[in-house]
Amino acid sequence: MTIDITVKIGGEAGQGIQTIGTLLSQVCHTAGLFIFSVDDFESRIRGGHSFNLLRISDGPVKGPGNRVDILVALDQRTLSLNRDTLEKGAMVILNSDTETGFKDNILAIPLKGLAKEAGGAITANTVAAGAILSILGAPFKVLEALLNKRFAAKGEKIVSLNTSAARKGYDAAGDLRFPKQFSWTPQETHTIIINGSRAAAMGALASDCRFFSFYPMSPATGIMTSVVPFLGKLPIVMEQAEDEIAAVNMAIGASFAGVRSLTATSGGGFCLMTEGLGLAAITETPLVIINAQRPGPATGLPTRTAQADLLFVLNASQDSFPRFVFAPGNPMEAFELTKKAFTLSEKYQVPAIILMDQFLNNSQVTQDNCFVVDEELPTFICHDTDMADPGQYKRYQFTDNGISPRALPGVGKAIVRATGNEHNEAGQISEEAQNKMAMNEKRNGKCKAMIQEMSLPQVIHGDSSTLLVGWGSSREIIIEACTALREKGRDVGAVLIKDVWPLDREQWRCILENKTFIMVEQNSNCQMGQIISQETGLFYDGAILKDDGRPLYPEYIIEKTAQIME
Amino acid sequence: MVQANDYNNDFENKWCPGCGNFLILNAMKEAFASQGIAPEKMMLISGIGQAGKTPHFIQGNIFHTLHGRALPVATGAKTANHDLNIVVNSGDGDCYGEGGNHFLAAIRRNVDITLLVHNNQVYGLTKGQASPTSPLGTVTRLQSQGTTSQSFNPMAVSLAAGIGFLARGFSGKTEQLTGLIQRAMSYPGFALVDILQPCVSFNKINTQKWYMDRVYDIDETTHDTGDFAKAMALAMEWGDKIPTGILYEQETVPFHQRIKALGDQTLISHAFDGKKVARAFA
Repeated sequence: MTIDITVKIGGEAGQGIQTIGTLLSQVCHTAGLFIFSVDDFESRIRGGHSFNLLRISDGPVKGPGNRVDILVALDQRTLSLNRDTLEKGAMVILNSDTETGFKDNILAIPLKGLAKEAGGAITANTVAAGAILSILGAPFKVLEALLNKRFAAKGEKIVSLNTSAARKGYDAAGDLRFPKQFSWTPQETHTIIINGSRAAAMGALASDCRFFSFYPMSPATGIMTSVVPFLGKLPIVMEQAEDEIAAVNMAIGASFAGVRSLTATSGGGFCLMTEGLGLAAITETPLVIINAQRPGPATGLPTRTAQADLLFVLNASQDSFPRFVFAPGNPMEAFELTKKAFTLSEKYQVPAIILMDQFLNNSQVTQDNCFVVDEELPTFICHDTDMADPGQYKRYQFTDNGISPRALPGVGKAIVRATGNEHNEAGQISEEAQNKMAMNEKRNGKCKAMIQEMSLPQVIHGDSSTLLVGWGSSREIIIEACTALREKGRDVGAVLIKDVWPLDREQWRCILENKTFIMVEQNSNCQMGQIISQETGLFYDGAILKDDGRPLYPEYIIEKTAQIME
Repeated sequence: MVQANDYNNDFENKWCPGCGNFLILNAMKEAFASQGIAPEKMMLISGIGQAGKTPHFIQGNIFHTLHGRALPVATGAKTANHDLNIVVNSGDGDCYGEGGNHFLAAIRRNVDITLLVHNNQVYGLTKGQASPTSPLGTVTRLQSQGTTSQSFNPMAVSLAAGIGFLARGFSGKTEQLTGLIQRAMSYPGFALVDILQPCVSFNKINTQKWYMDRVYDIDETTHDTGDFAKAMALAMEWGDKIPTGILYEQETVPFHQRIKALGDQTLISHAFDGKKVARAFA
């Protein structure tokens, strides 16, 4: 029987909630356990109420846990807010200077006091980690080994300070043990703990992306932060732009000159980038943009999650042009789809947009370490040597498939002209009616081949009468809910979409026709449901929509599905 | 030998007859040719406006971008391949209005490009509205009661922002202008040449004669281009006398040399090394 528990660590922003979560995750990882860690933070640096939900299991877990088996209350408020939602038999560690000891399943420990005894109030988080791991039954030496590794670079003094703080916390829990005990034997694992941000950054690097321009915006900033460790190791440049308009236009300029480029933002920044998106489209300059969604409009909920920009990115910019839209469902998909976005954007000379979100970008999960870097990448650039006469090169030459050979400026004899104005084959401004129609046809004509590049939605238990349909980051949660519903005897399957646009209408229709299908989305207007209706003519039978900015949990889908199916 | 004529192309010119842009275009061709740069090695980037069309009328690589966005595109292109000779054509509205934030950021980055601002103190392409450099109270068809904003002083602002090379030219003095463009292009860093020009269609005040009566060449004075305070004084001079020439020049480190990854070679010239990436991941 697998053990699957969730630890909730709550307190004020600035109390080190993430630090405790990270320490616990790393200890679990060394013991071969699996974690899924979700942050729920307010947009503030100090105060308020924030928490981390850390699901730990001895079997793979891919979605968040929403029960509370162990509550770590760094302040009294966390205890008050969560007291009524604790699982039966749950244990609480309460940070308290006044009442210490164990009573009514609450272990009160003066975290700061113990940290001071250890030599520094700053180690209160390490004290907390010690206490939690003690309750979980982890041998102290596992934590000790991790602290040694984690703080080694900071010197012996910091290591011993933290070790002693951990010991204080560990001993403060005494013989108290949570009834469900994991095996804590250190394991050789082929897994890593990763979040969507880092996976997407790795996908870009594995795609030979060399130019990263951005303007800081939650929850997209983590993607760029994840590039930082590679700055000295690989030929890459990262530039913080003066605004998102500059960020996207720099990426376009770098791409035009010949290096693969990425910019990442959230919906508000994407608003500013839409003009650039159109420029990339009409100049047929490859461009990859990641939109890490958060609830909007305007500032919305800056630190929270949503899937509410789908219709926006599909329609962003004036007039029409082909584009790719992807929506990864977990970090591995973020890695793979970022690679795919780079390849296809360059192959078809169209913009590619990757829709992520705060939940996917920030949630940490244990998964197999199989991030494959191809030794060689296909490139789609043409050189003087590929041309009969470079002097006659035309950047927008009409071709059967609409894709013109793409040369780079300044590297050969071929002269490259690009313009945001409608243009002729040579890239000179043209207002001729015939030319406008021909250029539209050339650009839009790429769609047919683009559709063939897209994988169809994954169907699980497709013979079921009812299908839950979701896209992007809700993937694993829907799978977990679907599995649970089937265990309860419900005839339910799932349709999981990651390659969003352009889509194959007929094939999508085949998947959904004659089925009862229920959309599962984190928005208020059922955006993928609208797309499906528009493209296939099939109307969804029900919708489970969650637009409160908080993560989706399997329990929510299970409950709502059961209601709809009644 | 590269000749100015090598920069001619057969694309139909779309400016008004008598426009100052023709003279700027000629000065550009002369300046490019005099440096021996072949057209296929030139990269012209522009924004929107009559100035934004300039690259189309020259033989060379071009990227005619969006309104106000030429500088970020140029920044990206120069970062990707710092061997590119990049000249940006912009106007007073494009650069100092729509692209104002990028203008300041480009100065601070010190990207090694040359920015030519065709400054005619009016919006030509949209038919005569006031521009950021129009004087306070300028009456136009749209601002019929006179403009209510002070004019923008690009010279003083760029000095304050830390520009390394600052010049002002006048389209009517093409020989001087050619020299200024040459000097700006050979300057290793961000170089601005603000080019005063008449707009024959929409600016009835700042005419060719108006400028001819006022401009003087500071080269013929004792100006020291390394003197920031004097440069600032010249930047503030406007009215009966308008200084042209190089106001300020200071040795700086250009953007691509501030970035470690661009130390040895251009970003574009690296071969992809999948094994190296895989090692970095490990």
